[in-house]
Amino acid sequence: MLDNLLSLMIFLPIVLGAGILLLPVGREAARALGLAASVLVVLFGLKIFLTFNGSSGLEFVERSPLIESLGISYHLGVDGISLLVLMAAALLFPMVYLLFRTREKGYYGNLLIVQGAMIGAVCAADLVLFYMFWEVMLLPVFFMIGLYGGPNRLKATVKITIYTIAGSLLMLAAIIYLGMAHHQATGQWSFAMDALSGLSLAGPAATLAFVGFMVAFAIKIPLFPFHTWLPDAYTEAPTATTFVLSAIMAKIGVYGVIRFVVPVFDESFARYALILACSGVVGMMYCGIAALVQKDFKRMLAFSSASHMGIIALGIFCMNVQALTGTLYQIVAHATSTGVIFLLLGLIEERSATRTIDDFGGLASRAPILAVFFAVAMLASVGLPGTSGFIGEFLIILGAIKFNAVIGILAATTLVIGVCYMLWLFQRVFFEKPAEKTATFHDLTAIEVLTILPVIVLIIVMGIYPQPFLDKINPAADRQIAALAQVVAVADSGDGAELNNQGKN
Amino acid sequence: MIEHYLSLSVLLFCLGVLGVISRRNVFVVFMSIELMLNAANLGFVAVARLHQSMDGHVLALMVMAVAAAEAALALAVVILLHKHKGNLDTNIFSLLKG
Amino acid sequence: MEGNLSSLGFIPLLPLAGALVLGLMHLATCRGRLISERIYALVGCIGPILSFLLAVNVFFALQALPAQSRFLSHQAFTWFSVGELTISMGFLADPLSVLMLLFVTLVGSLIHVYSIGYMAGDPAFGKFFSYLNLFLGSMLILVLGDGPLVMFVGWEGVGLCSYLLISYYSEDRGNVVAGNKAFIVNRIGDFGFVLGMSFLFWGIGAEGFDYLSLKANAHLLAPTLGITVCLLLFVGATGKSAQIPLYVWLPDAMAGPTPVSALIHAATMVTAGVYMVARFSFLYAQVEVAGLVVAWIGIMTALLGAIFGMFQNDIKKILAYSTVSQLGYMFAGVGVAAYSAGIFHVFTHAFFKALLFLGAGSVILALHHRQDIWQMGGLKNKLPITYWTMLIGALALAGCPPFSGFFSKDEILYSALAGGHTGIWAIGVLVAGMTAYYTFRLIFVVFHGQPRDREVYDHAHESPKVMTLPLIVLAVGALFAGFLNLPAIFGGHQQVSHWLAPSLTEVHPHGSMATEVLAIGGSVLAFVVGISIAYRRFAGGAEQPVFTGFRKFAYHKFYVDELYDTVLVRPYRFVGQAVQRVIEPYVTDGPVRAAAWLYRMAGLAFKVIQVGYVRVYAIYMVIGLSVMSLVLSQSLNF
Repeated sequence: MLDNLLSLMIFLPIVLGAGILLLPVGREAARALGLAASVLVVLFGLKIFLTFNGSSGLEFVERSPLIESLGISYHLGVDGISLLVLMAAALLFPMVYLLFRTREKGYYGNLLIVQGAMIGAVCAADLVLFYMFWEVMLLPVFFMIGLYGGPNRLKATVKITIYTIAGSLLMLAAIIYLGMAHHQATGQWSFAMDALSGLSLAGPAATLAFVGFMVAFAIKIPLFPFHTWLPDAYTEAPTATTFVLSAIMAKIGVYGVIRFVVPVFDESFARYALILACSGVVGMMYCGIAALVQKDFKRMLAFSSASHMGIIALGIFCMNVQALTGTLYQIVAHATSTGVIFLLLGLIEERSATRTIDDFGGLASRAPILAVFFAVAMLASVGLPGTSGFIGEFLIILGAIKFNAVIGILAATTLVIGVCYMLWLFQRVFFEKPAEKTATFHDLTAIEVLTILPVIVLIIVMGIYPQPFLDKINPAADRQIAALAQVVAVADSGDGAELNNQGKN
Repeated sequence: MIEHYLSLSVLLFCLGVLGVISRRNVFVVFMSIELMLNAANLGFVAVARLHQSMDGHVLALMVMAVAAAEAALALAVVILLHKHKGNLDTNIFSLLKG
Repeated sequence: MEGNLSSLGFIPLLPLAGALVLGLMHLATCRGRLISERIYALVGCIGPILSFLLAVNVFFALQALPAQSRFLSHQAFTWFSVGELTISMGFLADPLSVLMLLFVTLVGSLIHVYSIGYMAGDPAFGKFFSYLNLFLGSMLILVLGDGPLVMFVGWEGVGLCSYLLISYYSEDRGNVVAGNKAFIVNRIGDFGFVLGMSFLFWGIGAEGFDYLSLKANAHLLAPTLGITVCLLLFVGATGKSAQIPLYVWLPDAMAGPTPVSALIHAATMVTAGVYMVARFSFLYAQVEVAGLVVAWIGIMTALLGAIFGMFQNDIKKILAYSTVSQLGYMFAGVGVAAYSAGIFHVFTHAFFKALLFLGAGSVILALHHRQDIWQMGGLKNKLPITYWTMLIGALALAGCPPFSGFFSKDEILYSALAGGHTGIWAIGVLVAGMTAYYTFRLIFVVFHGQPRDREVYDHAHESPKVMTLPLIVLAVGALFAGFLNLPAIFGGHQQVSHWLAPSLTEVHPHGSMATEVLAIGGSVLAFVVGISIAYRRFAGGAEQPVFTGFRKFAYHKFYVDELYDTVLVRPYRFVGQAVQRVIEPYVTDGPVRAAAWLYRMAGLAFKVIQVGYVRVYAIYMVIGLSVMSLVLSQSLNF
């Protein structure tokens, strides 16, 4: 049974979720089932993390043909690139079931399905399979926002759905193009990643397909200027869904770029990396500035999340091993820190029934434990050394400077931009005089503390002792950069070499 | 010879279409639809005879069976419509107006 | 050449563990106070004191080694390693870091003890000690780190603690704003620091990113890159050490409890920038331009701080600007490549400035949290220990021979003069006079003359022993620390400079006897002039003056805060509002909305033919079928 660990992680939640939706199950039972499934997934995930060795390519491979005539197969596997994303998708879910009680059963069902689909998308090594999971991922989000969201949920739902589907369809066209290109080159249909990455694509059609993929992922990440669905969706979604969207789903967009775009479209990628990097940096600054003036707690955090995604995405486009490793690391670091922030926000929202920042005040004296947890997550998100946020951010900035000094300098402004809005938020919510609306605010309960504490500990451990994690992802990042370097060496890339030459002179 | 049968079939069909388009009573519209079905049947049978094949006959029988089933369903719908609005003028059923 | 000393790791670890334990104790019991202050105090002080003892131990271990191989290090573990970048969590004890280590742990321990008295009765006693321990741990990481990145851990850690402690009384909005200001301004500095480190890494870091490897490879650094790195690192230093243009946070930082002002915002953290420049002396020695920038910014900051200090009324603000000013001296010192002189001033300054702040805290506590010097007066009889210790501190700060401040300041001014930087020296002497003036303005107004507020005066009482004891210890330090580096002209051997020599890349200027006499004469003259003006104006019991003209301008700190607010903060918020109100809805979301609008318009257009009558749909169908049949029959050639 444990041979099919990945399938189990994917289909246990999906089947259970579908069952919960179809069968007359009570709300509490649904929650208990969801919790049990997610805990099992955590255990499987830990097993994968511990037995993963990282020196070779895909591990835990499962492969069986799905549509043989078209070369579509059910092909799963984990490597250093997907490992940490998989961990984020596998490990964070039990918290949602433990912390939030007042949801309807359908909510839990959808949550299970989205988890299974996300794990599937991360593990898929076949593009068609990936596309299927990618689309399935969206459905539960549609229902979770549309059914259980805030007052303006319909607009937000329509926006995120149409936006994402538009991107996905472009990607579908690109995937079909890739299959055809493979057919033309070898006479065989295949959508397997290992087969496709061997293709050498050129010409306008390849560029178009590259754009198709990039747009799909850019929307999901979201990359500036495709981020406009995000504030609405994050704000209107129930907080647990926002948590799923920001902590995990956005990361799958980043993962998609690293996993599919970089190896397959290496040439186009190298050519447009600078533009993409600019988009990442501009997005970081733009969303960071926009975050400052938000009045709604959640909307502010939404912009903050988008701002961080800009810097995370930047790491991919710098095409060196430091930045790429930084991105992979930051995927988890940001998932944990932003995840905790959104979860705490959800708890705060439940307790005080408001989200307007000015309604808060003095929470630190009413709820010191909550304040400490929030502070740790906040410090991780602004990249304080000693927390997980620093390692990734520093590596990305370091890599960005190697790639292009100007981009690197702009990227480093995240150090300042981040603290501006975060500290101001912390001041107005947790410090100052206790506000009336928070008069009856009570601190975290024991269960809530125990639920969040492991993640807080993880944030700090990942900041102080990151090497075990890095060891898992380093070989894969090295391989990818080495493969890319060959292409870059052929292509014209004056920008990247500039600084090195300066150093040697 | 076949032309006559087919012409009659087309004539009947066009009458049915005209009925559907021009009449406002649901019943008459329904009857016009039946007329169109029968026109089609006539065409089937005529062509089957021409080709000495059983296919057309089978299809005609098929259409008759479907028409019967449809009649049962449609009449039920008509009764419900009448119960709902007390009238069978198609112009008052315009929920699909954009 | 290098020895391993695993106890190095424990020096920062002990206070950090203390912080964790105290924090957990506080969080576990913050609903009802179950733990007495005594236990908190015990747990809080044990870490710093043990660290101090370990530091002394390290000092002796180091001293036992021959001068050129005084390096002890400890690699705790590999922190992270990616590609050519490998950073280990390593600690390095060399003469420079051990000197810092000694006074940081000593002053830190004393201030912990002092805080037991100062913070007594505070509802969050445990939290305060937790933060203080966390600060000390971070500061020790900063000092002991064996490379820039480990230093950066402590660097940011002390910034965080500074923020937490400035906004300690968080119910008051002003305090929190001051805390935010400190953190954000420091972050602007850190922005420079991170960039400096990154450029340095891509320049020469691939062989190893710790001080010893960097020092060995420093000559490989391209000159332009060298200047860039030095200036960027200095941006970090201006943030942390409150230099122009990033000094604005330090005076506001006085919102924190007074022991915090003494420990963090006077004695230790703010000197980290000087320490960093001295650490990178091998780089700064290579690029003279960068050193000159450092020196000039330093001396201008010294001047500015002194001007502001002369016109403040808040006892802590006076001391804060004095700190800014003294930090300027230190940068002037390290800028003119007199690294040991700069570090020596850091060392002596830690004693007398901590002493002055703690004394001020004692006064403030005695007067029930009044800080305006014009409400004080004649306190020397009421607070004798505070008065005498503070007087020693003031004499040291003002540069009165033979107190410690005289020697260290004179060393800097002499180096500037001997190095040919006459302008820096001249300004330095001027600032020395101003320092003497504002210091004794404070002393005379607060302790001499007649009480200005009789009721306050009557209720004043000397602080408990737990507070006066640290004052006395620090006073001894302020009095005698200068003799550790007695220059040859007074018959000394400059032990501190010689001790530091293996860590620093420094060329001692060989000035003539005349230069030396000129430097000393200038300093003494400045002191005498400054103190006599202060005596004439304030010793008799002056009343609060009304500032006009330039004095008002200086009292309002040249309106620099307002300027920053107008030039930086408001535009930043304005951009934010513009993004939120205009750019986001109309520019970035514009295409999306336009697409949606197009669909809507198309729908409206097609709506016309959707009449809702079944008959009409039938017509459409007939028409459609007819057209299709026509097309089909045409194409099939019937």
